[in-house]
Amino acid sequence: MAATTDSGGVAALHRLKSTDPPLYLSPSPDLSHSARLACQHIFASLRPFTPKSPFDRLLADGFDSEQIWQQIDLQSQPLISTLRCEVKFFEKHPEEISKLFLKVSVGKKEGKDGKSEELEGLELDGEKDEGFDELEDGDEGLEGSDDVDDEEEERENEEESDGGGVDGVEDRFLKIRELEEYLEDDEAREYGIKKKEKGDGKVAKESIKEDDDDEDEEDGEDDDGDEEGEEDDDELGVLGLVDGDDEEGGDARYEDFFGGKKKTGSQQKKTRHDSSAGDKQSGDMDFDDKKKENRSTHEKQLEKQRLKIEEMEKANMEVKTWTMQGEVTAAKRPKNSALEVDLDFEHNVRPAPVITEEVTASLEELIQKRILEGRFDDVFRAPTLPNKAPKERKELDENKSNKGLAEVYADEYAQKTGLVSSALTFSDEQKKEASVLFKKLCLKLDALSHFHFTPKPVIEDMTIQANVPALAMEEIAPLAVSDAAMLAPEEVFAGKGDVKEEAELTQAERKRRRANKKRKYKDEYHACDRSFDESSGLNQ
Amino acid sequence: MQSDGGATSMEVEKLASEVKHASLAPKPRFPPLKAHEISDGQVQFRKINVPQHRYTPLKKAWMEIYSPIMEQMGIDIRMNPKARKVELKTRPDTPDASNLQKCADFVSAFMMGFEPKDAIALLRMDELYVDTFEIKDVKTLRGEHLSRAIGRLSGKGGKTRIAIENSTKTRIVIADTKIHILGSFSNIKIARTSLCSLILGSPAGKVYSKLRSVTARLAERF
Repeated sequence: MAATTDSGGVAALHRLKSTDPPLYLSPSPDLSHSARLACQHIFASLRPFTPKSPFDRLLADGFDSEQIWQQIDLQSQPLISTLRCEVKFFEKHPEEISKLFLKVSVGKKEGKDGKSEELEGLELDGEKDEGFDELEDGDEGLEGSDDVDDEEEERENEEESDGGGVDGVEDRFLKIRELEEYLEDDEAREYGIKKKEKGDGKVAKESIKEDDDDEDEEDGEDDDGDEEGEEDDDELGVLGLVDGDDEEGGDARYEDFFGGKKKTGSQQKKTRHDSSAGDKQSGDMDFDDKKKENRSTHEKQLEKQRLKIEEMEKANMEVKTWTMQGEVTAAKRPKNSALEVDLDFEHNVRPAPVITEEVTASLEELIQKRILEGRFDDVFRAPTLPNKAPKERKELDENKSNKGLAEVYADEYAQKTGLVSSALTFSDEQKKEASVLFKKLCLKLDALSHFHFTPKPVIEDMTIQANVPALAMEEIAPLAVSDAAMLAPEEVFAGKGDVKEEAELTQAERKRRRANKKRKYKDEYHACDRSFDESSGLNQ
Repeated sequence: MQSDGGATSMEVEKLASEVKHASLAPKPRFPPLKAHEISDGQVQFRKINVPQHRYTPLKKAWMEIYSPIMEQMGIDIRMNPKARKVELKTRPDTPDASNLQKCADFVSAFMMGFEPKDAIALLRMDELYVDTFEIKDVKTLRGEHLSRAIGRLSGKGGKTRIAIENSTKTRIVIADTKIHILGSFSNIKIARTSLCSLILGSPAGKVYSKLRSVTARLAERF
């Protein structure tokens, strides 16, 4: 079954290969069908190497191209990584390859397994490409692998293939050896290479080179992440550089068609990626230079970006400038560096005004105007309101009095006895005069308002009111203010009980009053006597 | 005097004779004694020394002194230029025995330095006195301090002294280091207190304010 399917698949492959490229442009069900078959065949052949793949076989019937691709991708991704590791390993340890060959020779089956493994690994490259191109690449990959196999066969095939996966690959259905033979035949047919006659590396190299050249064309269009090219490059590196070995005629070469040797795109990528493991051999540099001339704008842009990224990353790794660091003291920055930088800080002080001629002129103008107006913004003390009556202050007269002392005392005596009335509330003649005038004025004004008298606001007068007979006071009292309010009623008369006039008294009350008076007089008289006796010291 | 004695003895005889005749004699009437009779008819003198600096003012104000003494007091007054004394003598018709003393006080007040019209209050009122004290009684001051104290007492142009005089109804004479105050007892006390505070060094303003409060209180009493 497997063989039949296998053969069906191979046949489909052949069919696809044989069709002209322009025919691919128009969709045809035949081509589609054969393509599907071919894919399935390849998938199945690789299936033994992918134990973890979820698909046993490629489901291609009735599936979209995207879906088929996804299935293939699922299978191939882990394989690629393992292959890459192995190739790197072989790169580092070329002796392993010889061992591999030895192993192969020891146990043919095993060796074949090893080869087949390599073969399959190389086959995988072909599956990476998109679209139908992948098949052609796959073919090339296969062919490439065939060449490798040839080489290995030529050397001592003793090595046992590494990886237990080889053991698991071969089974009843898949015979690696048969596959190899077929492929060799096919290749011979395809290229007309006398593989047996020129059983040296050159052929392999040439073919590889051709493959690479072909790949180069495509790689030129593909993205960077094409691992197939890289693997091929590694392969090249391992096997040895291809120098411009002019072989026998009859071999179609790239140079014949396309002129000078160019660095392969894959090699270019290799330098770009700058793998730490890989050695950059001098020959690559020549390739680099020649490659730069024929780059596309996109590649140039990418190159620029890459350089910029490198720069920025390098800058990030370095120590930052002092302006970018957080808190920087004077010790941490170079001398006078703060002067060069435009520092931004808050100025809490208003900047001093620049005095120009205009400013001065304007000021002077203002001053002159103010002087003319007389509008000086003088500050006046706010007048305090009196909360109490201003205390009468007797001014000390510093002028020599004209009156003699005798007259002074005479006047005082006269005032005391009340023979002469004098003003009580005013101390100064002028004040008296002023108050009299004012009162006259008030009278006239009151007359104007028909004597609707509004009383003055009451100010608490704390001055002591002399308890002088009302007669004396009333003489100087003005009209508007009555002096009856000057003395409180208690001050006028402080007594208690029922006050009766003499006329109202009854006989008994009259007698009572007289008796009280006599008693008081007697007390006083006797008290006076007593004090006299005590003072005189007489005991009688 | 003899006639008086004779009169009294006569009255006594009359009374005695009357007693013989009647049961009770009338009560005796004794008219008040004259100044002359108190001193038993002897003339009383007072002699007041005239200091050098008061000689000329005395001559100028002689009539002011002379007239009230001679006319109202009934005391003889004369100036003894040789001895430089003013002499006072009672007359038989001197109304009161104390007049001589009053006149003597009046004249001595003038000699102290008071003006006649101020000193005359002594004649008119009983309760006026003259108090004298020295600066050194209050505080011992020497040299410039003394001069400054005297200056403080009188004030500029005498205004402090006058202010005290006016407010306390006294008269003050500052004679070098002696201070005389003429006035009633309580007023003298107030004036003396103010002057002492001035001597002791308080500024005039402070003294004024104290004076004001005291005199206001005094005035309110009446």
